[in-house]
Amino acid sequence: MVVKKRQTVKKKFVSFSDDDVLSRANRSTKSNTHYDSPPVYVRRTPLTIPIHLPVLCYWFAKCSKDYDIVRALWYLAPSQLLYLVLQFNRCTVYGNKIIKTNHSLLLVSAGTTFLLTIPCMLFIILFGAPISELLKKTWLLSLHCCVLAYPAIYSVYNSDFKVGYFKKYFISIAIGCWISCVVIPLDWDRPWQAWPTPIVIGGYIGAFFGYTFGSFL
Amino acid sequence: MVELSEALPDEELLKQTVLNNDDDDRRMTRLRIERFRTTHTLYILLLFSLAVLQAIAIAFFTRGFLLSRTVLDNVASFDETKDSYGKFDKAVILIVDALRFDFVIPVDTAAEGYNDNYHNNLKVLYEYWDNSVLLKFIADPPTTTLQRLKGLTTGSLPTFIDAGSNFNGDVIVEDNLIKQLYLHNKSIYFVGDDTWDALFHPYLSNMSVPYESLNVWDLDTVDNGVISYFEEHLLDKDPLDREWDVLIGHMLGIDHVGHKYGPNHFTMSEKQQQVDKFIRKVIASIDEDTLLVVMGDHGMDHTGNHGGDSNDELESTLWLHSKRKNAWKLKSPDQYNTSRLGENYRQVNQIDLVPTLSLLLGTPIPFNNLGWPVDEIATSDEEWKIYTRTTLDQLQTYNMTSRAITNPQKNVLLQQLWQNSTISAQYGSEYQAALLDTYKDLWARFDYYSIGTGILLLTLFLGLLVTVTRLISSIVVGQMVSELVPTIVVMALVSNVCFIGIFYVLHQPAFLANWFWCSLLATAVGIIIGFYIPIFDRYNLAWLTFRLVEELSDYWSRIAAMFIAIHALLFISNSFTIWEDKIVSFLLTTLGMLTLYEFVFLPKRQYTAALLNASLGEKEGTVSGATSGQANSDSLPLGRFARMVGGYHSIVLIVCTRLASLITICREEQGIHCTPTFSLRSNYSMPVILGCLFLVFAIPSCIKGYYNVCSSYQAAAPIWIGMLLKSILFVNFIYWGLTAFENMSQGFQINLGIVKLTLSRIIVGVSLIVANIGWMMGPLCIKLNIHNNDTKSHQATILGYTNVYGAQYFLLVTNFLMCIMLFNKPLAQLSLFLMCNQLLSVLEIIDLLKLKENLIGPVAMGLISYNQFFSTGHQATIPSVQWDMGFVLTESITFPFTHLGIIMNTFGPHILCAVSVALLTLWKQPPGVLRANTLLARIVSNCGMLLIYHTVLCLSSFIWVTHFRRHLMVWKIFCPRFIFAALSLIVTQLVVTFITVAFAGGRLIRQINHLFWK
Repeated sequence: MVVKKRQTVKKKFVSFSDDDVLSRANRSTKSNTHYDSPPVYVRRTPLTIPIHLPVLCYWFAKCSKDYDIVRALWYLAPSQLLYLVLQFNRCTVYGNKIIKTNHSLLLVSAGTTFLLTIPCMLFIILFGAPISELLKKTWLLSLHCCVLAYPAIYSVYNSDFKVGYFKKYFISIAIGCWISCVVIPLDWDRPWQAWPTPIVIGGYIGAFFGYTFGSFL
Repeated sequence: MVELSEALPDEELLKQTVLNNDDDDRRMTRLRIERFRTTHTLYILLLFSLAVLQAIAIAFFTRGFLLSRTVLDNVASFDETKDSYGKFDKAVILIVDALRFDFVIPVDTAAEGYNDNYHNNLKVLYEYWDNSVLLKFIADPPTTTLQRLKGLTTGSLPTFIDAGSNFNGDVIVEDNLIKQLYLHNKSIYFVGDDTWDALFHPYLSNMSVPYESLNVWDLDTVDNGVISYFEEHLLDKDPLDREWDVLIGHMLGIDHVGHKYGPNHFTMSEKQQQVDKFIRKVIASIDEDTLLVVMGDHGMDHTGNHGGDSNDELESTLWLHSKRKNAWKLKSPDQYNTSRLGENYRQVNQIDLVPTLSLLLGTPIPFNNLGWPVDEIATSDEEWKIYTRTTLDQLQTYNMTSRAITNPQKNVLLQQLWQNSTISAQYGSEYQAALLDTYKDLWARFDYYSIGTGILLLTLFLGLLVTVTRLISSIVVGQMVSELVPTIVVMALVSNVCFIGIFYVLHQPAFLANWFWCSLLATAVGIIIGFYIPIFDRYNLAWLTFRLVEELSDYWSRIAAMFIAIHALLFISNSFTIWEDKIVSFLLTTLGMLTLYEFVFLPKRQYTAALLNASLGEKEGTVSGATSGQANSDSLPLGRFARMVGGYHSIVLIVCTRLASLITICREEQGIHCTPTFSLRSNYSMPVILGCLFLVFAIPSCIKGYYNVCSSYQAAAPIWIGMLLKSILFVNFIYWGLTAFENMSQGFQINLGIVKLTLSRIIVGVSLIVANIGWMMGPLCIKLNIHNNDTKSHQATILGYTNVYGAQYFLLVTNFLMCIMLFNKPLAQLSLFLMCNQLLSVLEIIDLLKLKENLIGPVAMGLISYNQFFSTGHQATIPSVQWDMGFVLTESITFPFTHLGIIMNTFGPHILCAVSVALLTLWKQPPGVLRANTLLARIVSNCGMLLIYHTVLCLSSFIWVTHFRRHLMVWKIFCPRFIFAALSLIVTQLVVTFITVAFAGGRLIRQINHLFWK
């Protein structure tokens, strides 16, 4: 890929203030020239769109009985694996070429995913989830989030730990979960407000947006 | 740390060398300090005038929204000289919640508005026309059950704050119907809505069965309970066996159907038919001496809700029935016109029930009553005369005792009507109507002009605050204050003269009742004009808007703005307001996570910003002797160590927030989703008291750890923190240990009162007076280290140089901490320990990220204060105020001490945060880099930001409480939250103005500059 270099024109400011207006004005300029070699990036193709996520999300919200997250997980895990092998990995470019699927890495990253549930659960609890009660559900939620992040985890392994590039996928899932907290306090007494259903749905939506638009960011 | 050229053992000598002995230089220094003094005074005046403006805004809003009433505790008794009355010995009172008037009258199926779901289902009341009186019953707003029950029993108009009443319990203290019945030895059996139990608990018989009323989804429990209870005590019992004199039932089914489905639903007809059947059974079972009353407490609107003042909500039903012949004397039939949903049907006020029932049952009319007996109950003129006479006497006694009417015209009118009423009974009702109207004006009507004025003034205040403290750069404000303050004073005076002149000549608007409010408004307008004249002299609106956009152009400012917006938007829904405690700690955790992310990943914005800062600093140079390299050393990109430290502090912030949020006193509305951990038992339990002992060592050593980062734990700091704070905390532990012992051990006889009072007074005296006077002496936390390895160089190191401002200022914060600790219960003290860590971590984070002037710093402080407010056992409700803290210093209510305790308890975290907001600027600020005026301006700017945060919350709560004034939960959720928002804004403003800027900031900057400025 040809890396585009943007010419940054420095503007001159005259400031009468003692604060850092100047630095603030410049703070927003982004420089896109930060790739170390070999470059890692995700191609911008419609192939990265995870179609299975909205489908699963719809099934989970509308069709599943009692918002069964365990069953949702059974559906999610293989579909995420398929998505990684068939779609996401084909779009990941590392060192100017698309790398083939590494089967042992798939397993290793699956193990990592499993291990990551513990810190993830810790984060969720730090954000205010109940500590002792509902612990199993919280763990299932964190497992959900980690499985959603599975393709990104695999890619991190596959590209020599370029966490910096792939962190946006994790962040988008986290933001999805963060925003979906809005509905929890509402007093509508709907079954889908029960912990952790809204967060799971938020995670799905966040992951969908992340995988779809991640390469554009 | 900075190196000095010579070893100096003494502070005075140090000063002498640092300040050159040159005459010119000395004069310059004196001049500079002189100029700083003037600017400082002007800043205080500026903040003070802002405080005045804000107080006026809040005063106007509160006056319009919060109508208050003085409750008199007098209890009415019989006047032996008067005729006796009372036709019935027993009464069955059945309250059907939300029984709208058109539910009970026959409605023509062809009539407009006919609906078979709720019309013609409850026909029983109209069918028994001959032996009963059916009337339209007009409630007074607010039409919520609690307020209505108060109205129905006291005959008065309840307002949100019944001043003088007891906040501790909900029990009505003022004279009421139930109390009168109880005092006259009638046994009262009650079944139904548990609001009754809360209000009248001491007067009800032990046989009463209250049911929970909160769950509006449950349609049947209460009604079935009422029906079975009535079956047990009335229907299946022989008239002679009935132990009760008054049987009260309160059914909620119809109300709950309304809330759940709205009236237009088939369940409504089922429910009404159930009530219909039930009333028929009751009618059949009563005897001749029993009075049957069926009534509604309010109506419902087309959605099934109530709380407001639309006709549908106000119109309810009153039905009196007796088996006796000729018990009632009805008026001419055209008064009871049921056509058009009973639009022209005869109506009575809800409070009229009180004298009516009193007269029928033969008890004195409750003292605070303003109602008038229903005409139909008197069968002869003589009887009516007795009734009116009794009621008039009671009304007159009340009016004479309360003396609440101050308007002279009204008084004259009432006096005249009273004279007339002594002549003829028909004028009596006119007197009562006039009296009621006058009191209604006083108590029960929102004053929209005042509310509007309040909101407008607060908005303008917010605009001013933003303009002065954030938009205009602090240096320019520093120059402008000398111009601003005189214009403000002059304009305030001018507008006072103009307003009062105009109002004196022309007719003043009604909402400005007297000259006092008029001059308040005039002062507010004057201050606003006085501010804007100099500002718009220099800038225009476009520039200010541009600056606002620019101010919000960087990442952290946007995060801060987002936090403010989220917090302010919580008030759009009652559920969010209920869960504010959790949401605030969620936001604070989010902030911690964001900073953690920043330290771990160091996104690109940080590099550019830091590098630019560095280059800017290079150009500026430094005014002091410090080399530019040293002064700017903290502007370089963060090193690995700094990132680790920053990450650590972020984690401390997150963990402390999470731990603190474990401590909670749940609101009633949070229900099963919350288990209260802040209870009497847990507060005085052994582990918590031991935790307090742990604090004695933990707090000083934590603070010491933070001081040691800059090796500031020198000179005054060990004395202050290691000795004073530690010993005060130990005394505090003894105090609370004794309290716990008193509370928890049974059969403990020795009175510890005097010991406890002594201890508490020692703590308050030392922390508030002695320690603050000591602080004024200027305790420096630096030390000259002359034990250098290199003996030849004649150099000494000043330890604690980089944090000379912050270290000293934090000693002041510890003074307040000591005092606030005393006024908090043990569990809350643990929470305050966490707060110390939160505060210091935020300071370190802000310093590491170089965000000292960013919006995020004060917003973080504000979030901490709210988080800690909730975790020290408070909620934004009136019952959760810890009134017992008022009696820490004194045994009885004594003016400043009781109030001090409650304020320190309730607003402790707010006070601490408002004091330490200056630390955002001062923490790790080495002397000699920024000019004194710049430093002060930055402190004011950060204080301004904290005030902006509180003002936005206050404004949002103003707007939403006005919007929800008809909401079911307004008096329970929104209104207490608005009061809390207003009070915390006032407290923050006062602390910021008088302590942070006036008392501490100026003195500290002067002293340090005096010492270190070359």
